[in-house]
Amino acid sequence: MAALNRRIFRILKANALRYIGVLLLIILGSATFIAAAGVSQNLAALVTTFTEGHRQEDLSFSTDKAIPDLATLEKESDASIEEYLSFDSALSDSLTLRLLSKTEKVNIPAVIEGRALAGPGEILLDPAFAKANGYPVGSQINAAGKTYNVVGFMSLPHYIYPLKNVYDIMVSPDNFGVGVISREEFADIDNAASIYSVRFNDRTQSLNSQAVQLRERLHAAGITESDWIDIMNNKRARMAWASITGLKTMSIPLPAAMFLLCCLIIGIMIWRMIRREAVIIGTLYAQGYRRRELMRHYLTLPLLLALTGGVIGSALALPSIAPMVTALVSYYNVPVTDIELSFVNVLIGILLPVLFLGVSSYLVIRTELKRSPAELMKGDEQKAKVNALERALKLERFKFSTKFKVREQLRSISRLIFLLLGVIGVSVLMLFGFTIMSSFNYVFNSSTADTYHFEYEYAFRELQSGEAPAGAEVFAAGRFYPENNEGIEFYVSGIEPESTLLTLKDSKGNPLPNNQINITKPLADRLGIKAGDSVNLINKDDGKPYIFHIDAVAESYVEQFIFMPIGELNAKLGLPANSYMGLWSTRKLDIPDEQLAGTKNLSELPSAMDEMFRSTASMVAAMTMVACVVGLIIIYLVTSLIIEENRNTISLFKIFGYRRREVRSLILDSSTLVIVAGFIIGIPLVAASFGAMYGYLGKMINLVLPTIISPLYVVVCFAAIMLTYQFSKLLCAKQVDTVSMSEALKAGTE
Amino acid sequence: MFIDVADLKKSYRSDAVVNEVLKGIGMKLEKGEIGVILGPSGSGKSTLMNIIGGVDRGDSGRVVVDGVGVSSLSDDKLTDYRREDVGFVFQFYNLVPNLTIGENIEVVSNISRAPLNTDEVLAAVEMLDKKHRFPRELSGGEQQRVSIARAIVKNPKLLLCDEPTGALDYETSRSILRLLQQVNQKFGTTILMITHNAAIAAMAHRVFKLRSGEIAEASVNQTVVPAERIEW
Repeated sequence: MAALNRRIFRILKANALRYIGVLLLIILGSATFIAAAGVSQNLAALVTTFTEGHRQEDLSFSTDKAIPDLATLEKESDASIEEYLSFDSALSDSLTLRLLSKTEKVNIPAVIEGRALAGPGEILLDPAFAKANGYPVGSQINAAGKTYNVVGFMSLPHYIYPLKNVYDIMVSPDNFGVGVISREEFADIDNAASIYSVRFNDRTQSLNSQAVQLRERLHAAGITESDWIDIMNNKRARMAWASITGLKTMSIPLPAAMFLLCCLIIGIMIWRMIRREAVIIGTLYAQGYRRRELMRHYLTLPLLLALTGGVIGSALALPSIAPMVTALVSYYNVPVTDIELSFVNVLIGILLPVLFLGVSSYLVIRTELKRSPAELMKGDEQKAKVNALERALKLERFKFSTKFKVREQLRSISRLIFLLLGVIGVSVLMLFGFTIMSSFNYVFNSSTADTYHFEYEYAFRELQSGEAPAGAEVFAAGRFYPENNEGIEFYVSGIEPESTLLTLKDSKGNPLPNNQINITKPLADRLGIKAGDSVNLINKDDGKPYIFHIDAVAESYVEQFIFMPIGELNAKLGLPANSYMGLWSTRKLDIPDEQLAGTKNLSELPSAMDEMFRSTASMVAAMTMVACVVGLIIIYLVTSLIIEENRNTISLFKIFGYRRREVRSLILDSSTLVIVAGFIIGIPLVAASFGAMYGYLGKMINLVLPTIISPLYVVVCFAAIMLTYQFSKLLCAKQVDTVSMSEALKAGTE
Repeated sequence: MFIDVADLKKSYRSDAVVNEVLKGIGMKLEKGEIGVILGPSGSGKSTLMNIIGGVDRGDSGRVVVDGVGVSSLSDDKLTDYRREDVGFVFQFYNLVPNLTIGENIEVVSNISRAPLNTDEVLAAVEMLDKKHRFPRELSGGEQQRVSIARAIVKNPKLLLCDEPTGALDYETSRSILRLLQQVNQKFGTTILMITHNAAIAAMAHRVFKLRSGEIAEASVNQTVVPAERIEW
């Protein structure tokens, strides 16, 4: 056995490039899987641990007067309700620091650097603000007429994405930040706003109905609330969750699929290699080797490869998890406290290739060993066999080279599947990244620009009435969810029936009138409704059901909305006839800050998108690179298999006087058809997988995206795949050239 | 002379061992003749044939086929020579297993300047009805017929046959020899055949006996026997 085992290293050495390819594939698959799983789990754990551990609010509101008996209200509502104070201190013309009083029960600050507040004159700062404006731990900051010692940096569960107003689009640490001081410090600050944060204790019951009941209790106590914002609509908290859920959703299936594909491909590869060893297996068998000895011998190579690949893959992936998680959450203020490296994932990363390769090799060896030594030693049995597909093909009308190439690909169905799956996988991987980019681009650029024709959106704290200023239009909005499904939340927006600032279009691109009830496509898809349907919706504010008759579905992906004439909406909700909650305007309006709940500047959208695209583009570039490497390995492996299995034919071609380029073309170009087919099959697969993924994202984070497969990117991906193919052919050309004529001359004589 | 070989030497070197395979061979064959090279294993028969066929090169000496100095041709010209002038028939047929019989013929006709009609050639070797079959579906004799058809479809000046009956039974061997003789007569193809079987020499115009890399005996056969009358 020892002598036999020496063969293993010789086999590895003799086919070094091929085995390096296999090993690289295992390493890539295993490393990507372990890294992606690790990142995904840690992201989720980080956000959940933080928001749960530090008791993120379910909603917040202000009141016209202080709640007299908070303890009773808490008890009745089965909730923790805590009042905190907030004051915006202008540090300069363009820099505001929001001072918040430290809380104990809800939205508890997490100290991520330095120490907690311990005495008077101390402040904890949001780290992005501190970094942008030069306030390290130990420095001092002047705010609200007082000097504070910066004793540490903190994260707040309701300011994970520290927006000044909840309706803002982008954070800007150069202009705005948050600081936490003790409540006593507010004794010297006039005009601090008082805000109540609520977290319900019963996490199993509907939070919406608990919120409605709380509001009714407040009304019963003669308290009028304002700025009622539940966490689902609070971008300061939801943005991170949405983004991280998105990352999590995308980070697992793709690497997992790729890993499985790699394992499958390598399994097929090993299978074919073992079959080619039939003569040697037969000879060893004939000389008295036992089945289990041969099984052990032939299993050593695949297991060695799988184990080495798995271990190297894990070793590469594990150290990359922490920096990746840190980089991904760096956009948000979440404490990166403890990054766990999952032992189970590592085990999967190592065991999956071992299992795949082990099982497939075992099955093949077992099948081979069932044949008699004499049969095995004949060896060429398999080579001469013609499968049903080859037999059924009628290729008379094609020229010889086409016939040969088609037959060559159909020669081995497993090899064909191996190449086809590989190319499909690589195409999907490549198109995946580009499609994400196209979808986002479509929604945020084309779709937004086509739909909205205003530049500013102003949302008021209180209901307004009267006429809109020149160049502006009024709108109203109510938050609704369908009966029996609180997970889908959206705005029903009242707009001017003759609005010129909003253009919705039907599926044919014709504009829809604004004097009817229109629903945007993503929402219609989620609710499963079409034009002409009536839908029962619950208003989040009063918990009452309302019926809406949908006139048309708008082919607009901007957001999930129902648009209807403002008069009808006001009448339906029992609001004054000429009241409104916000303004759309083509120019900047002079509205006092304290009246506004938020301002949205649509011109900020491109820079927000740039910010987002920067990371997306690098992700796409990385995915394309990985896809190219995987593609190169797969195509190289298949082509060298084809060469290996055709050595005799290549040799014959040379004897018959085929020129070098003719032989190369017949052998190396035979995969072109499969590669093109694989790429074409990949396109609908990407569309289908995006449909599924976007559907999931829609459910999870209220974001519905259209699957946009841009023809330009399809061409780019195709070019990348074809270039990879050409490169792999170049690598294999030498192998074809080195096949000598003597191989065919000696055929059958050995 | 159609084939004119003079003082041909060839040796193979592996590590420190030099194996002298051909030690100054000289032989001649007229156009349209059948030549048979007889000799035991290791006598240099295949090496001699490979050099004449342009598959290998000699170390020294002269190899001229139909006025062309094969030994002095460049690699590209040697390819052209094999492509246009030489047909090969192998002991183990060497058909491409995943191509049909018709397609196996096309392997060669595809690159020939003026190939014969595939169907006519297949009819000549009595294999036209098997055109759409795969090699595995044919007997050894049938496969060798296809191999001969493949070799003659380019209408070569020279047909080289390496033990064409070595893997066949007696009756099939005789039918193959008959076919080769017919090809020689019908197309005027010069045939050079390697064999262990001394009885086959009866159908040749010239016989060369090789022993340890040297021509031990060269003779001209005055009474060429029809293949069907050969017995062993």
